[in-house]
Amino acid sequence: MASTAASLRLPSPPLSAPAAAASFSSATTLRFPLRRRGAARPLAVAAFKKLSEASPVPIPPESAQPPLDEEALPPKPGVYGVYDAAGELQFVGISRNVRASVEGHRRKVPADLCASVKVSVADEETPDRAVLTNAWKSWMEEHIESTGKAPPGNVAGNNTWVGAPQRPPDLRLTPGRHVQLTVPLEQLIDRLVKENKVVAFIKGSRSAPQCGFSQRVVGILEAHGVDFVTVDVLDEEHNHGLRETLKTYSNWPTFPQLFVGGELVGGCDIISSMAEKGELSALFQK
Amino acid sequence: MGVTKEDVEAAITSALSPSHLVVTDTSGGCGASYEIEVVSEKFEGKRLLERHRMVNTALAPHMAEIHAVSIKKALTPAQAQPQPEPAADKPQA
Repeated sequence: MASTAASLRLPSPPLSAPAAAASFSSATTLRFPLRRRGAARPLAVAAFKKLSEASPVPIPPESAQPPLDEEALPPKPGVYGVYDAAGELQFVGISRNVRASVEGHRRKVPADLCASVKVSVADEETPDRAVLTNAWKSWMEEHIESTGKAPPGNVAGNNTWVGAPQRPPDLRLTPGRHVQLTVPLEQLIDRLVKENKVVAFIKGSRSAPQCGFSQRVVGILEAHGVDFVTVDVLDEEHNHGLRETLKTYSNWPTFPQLFVGGELVGGCDIISSMAEKGELSALFQK
Repeated sequence: MGVTKEDVEAAITSALSPSHLVVTDTSGGCGASYEIEVVSEKFEGKRLLERHRMVNTALAPHMAEIHAVSIKKALTPAQAQPQPEPAADKPQA
């Protein structure tokens, strides 16, 4: 059961600042011995209702614009489960402000998937993230045990409730073609590859590469979890002249071109070869 | 008339004196495209990036007419040799 729950996607609530977290940890340390020594974990989980014990609260469609029930959906941290119109559990989430999260789902998710919600809020105003996580796991396990499956919204790949992570925008060398450069383009390129650890000059944008070779390199980098930036050499508005200038700068005639640590590593064939041989990870660790 | 497979072969042969060269025409609707496998002593002591640069340099006169070049192999003769099979463990007498 734990392994099943562990493979599901967990929405990340906003974390407290380090100083505040440290302060809270100290407070928690002081607080628990005054209650029941050694009972922190059961107490934390016990503080939340079971999924089956929580009462469903209707979620009016946004178009009707009635406010969400203030008492039933307080702006407090907790765990919640959203049900569709047929009464099927669609998503279990945690939040520092359950009311705000449900309100957000109501705005973005189709009304038939977001018809009612069950909520259990924490006793503390700022519970540790682990407390919320444990509550989430408890609700997930309870649901899986009774139905044999996870809520569809919590299955990896389903972005209905938690949107796909947004890709970094492509970098641009200039604000636009109308802007007259005060420094040579070569200098802008040099600065760019040295200020960013990994830079891929590609044909097209990162989200829509215009050639198979560029797409392959982007795919390899993303598969390796590399933190990289992209520059679209076909963007004549913002990167005018880059395509030819870069060939001279790098002494490399084709695209894509991958720079790591300010130095050219190569094009698609070299990157593909390194990936096949398992050499890429070491490259990015330097 | 655009660059031909023979042009590519001639350019690489002239520059690198390969002991083994395979040029495959993979041209499609986008224009002239080639896959290249080269074995040359001139790659000795050179890292992969430099080897690819050497091939690109050989093709520089034709690059404007080539849509895509894919260098699948750039090996020294020693690297191109088949590796011997590991000896099977002999049973103890």
